[in-house]
Amino acid sequence: MIAILLSELTSGAVVAAGSGGPAWLLILGPAGAGGLYYGLWSYYRNTSKSHSFERETRIEAKPVTGHDAKVNEIKGTTKSGIDGDNGTDHRKRVQRLDP
Amino acid sequence: MTNLPPPGEGALPAANNTPPEPTANPTIDTRNERLQDGINRCPRCGATEIQLRPSVGMLVCLFCRHEWAEARLDETIVNGDLAALRGTTIGSGASNIDTGAGSLITMKCAGCGAEVVVNTTEQMGARCHWCRHVLTVNEQVPNGAVPDAVLPFAITHDAAMVKIREFASKRRLFADRAFVRGFKPENVVGVYMPYLVVDANASADVAGFGEVKTRQYMRGTGDNKDIVYDADVYDVQRHVDFTADDLTIEASSERAQMNAALNTNNVINTILPFDTANAVKWNASYLTGFTSEKRNQDVAQTTPKLEDQLLSIARSQVASSVDRYDRGVRWERERVQVHGTRWVAMYLPVWLYSHYQERGGKSMVHYIAVNGRTGEVMGSVPVSTPRLLAAALTVGTVIEGIVIAMLGASG
Repeated sequence: MIAILLSELTSGAVVAAGSGGPAWLLILGPAGAGGLYYGLWSYYRNTSKSHSFERETRIEAKPVTGHDAKVNEIKGTTKSGIDGDNGTDHRKRVQRLDP
Repeated sequence: MTNLPPPGEGALPAANNTPPEPTANPTIDTRNERLQDGINRCPRCGATEIQLRPSVGMLVCLFCRHEWAEARLDETIVNGDLAALRGTTIGSGASNIDTGAGSLITMKCAGCGAEVVVNTTEQMGARCHWCRHVLTVNEQVPNGAVPDAVLPFAITHDAAMVKIREFASKRRLFADRAFVRGFKPENVVGVYMPYLVVDANASADVAGFGEVKTRQYMRGTGDNKDIVYDADVYDVQRHVDFTADDLTIEASSERAQMNAALNTNNVINTILPFDTANAVKWNASYLTGFTSEKRNQDVAQTTPKLEDQLLSIARSQVASSVDRYDRGVRWERERVQVHGTRWVAMYLPVWLYSHYQERGGKSMVHYIAVNGRTGEVMGSVPVSTPRLLAAALTVGTVIEGIVIAMLGASG
């Protein structure tokens, strides 16, 4: 794991530096150290792991129905995605409406 | 796609609030009427020395070697179509816990007449101290100790040891030295953990906004160029009707608390799911040689957790229907309507290896858990902070040295 991380980081540095990369590349050292610490700590502690009940439970669903209506246009934003994208974060609860 | 009513200002279309028709009998009787508290004998020779043989999942008489099994719970209760499930149906072993009911049960030994006390918090049987007969608790008592069904261990102690050793050996280098020194996988303990297993019939609605990129271009001059985007914004609503079969929820309040800063209970949660369809009717002999943890959560207390999981499932189900929104979707409102649920209490088999760690005045129990049916393993191994820091600093220094050398060479 250490070897892979080292290889990825140094190859990035080599490419950037070889093309006259800027001084911000110096952040790679501390970033590599922090990334390795966090990666190894996670590998040992597994604090983010939990049962994937969304995928590992037998679910039978009828076809999804719905409604889509264009309500606005955005021009010239520098943001590459929608604010607060939670389309794949299924466990993040939003405003709950009464049944 | 069918059309729902137009999007409202901050509200979803009204749900169909027709009250579900309750089932005729909201309680499923799961008592094993063949068995009683006290002495339970081998059906062939009458001996009471009975225990589970995990390699075949059968009960075995240690006297005559006769093997047998209790009937699968699914075969003894009416299951039916989950989409037709209405109201709340509860197994008799999952009924509300009577807070006045104690954990201690006194049984009269049918062999010699002595009275034997069993603490159901930890075990479901005891040996008569006078005549050596084995006495077991089989009648459903309102203290949460006797569930509707039990899923017997299929992974043996030796196999669990191998899996735990394998898991820990991959995490040896940066493990806390006290953990490494004290590592004895033979100390793994077989525990029957209490769960509520739920079938649910539900509908869910979610609403929010999605964005589709219409143009991408560069703006600015020289070094001040930015990538900018144009996008169309859509009001998005989705509805899904679904059934979930055997959602498994912790029925012990202590295990249900998953806070990575305080405990490692998430490890035990991660080894789910179990093949709960193979759970059998209660017979305390399945627990002989294992420990068990008593259920202390009722259906009402775990219902919020169920609804939370149903909402997550709904969000997962609708995800593929919003693929066209290449700039993403932001869900803002959600609703779940539970039409029907069926709950049964089960003991599920877990091999647990634990390590108690005390550091800086804080203590934590690190678990390595093995699913007693599938062999799936997950664990938390305490880390040695000095070792981890040394490795991180070494790697960071090497990377920094290479970057400095490259920058120097290019300059």
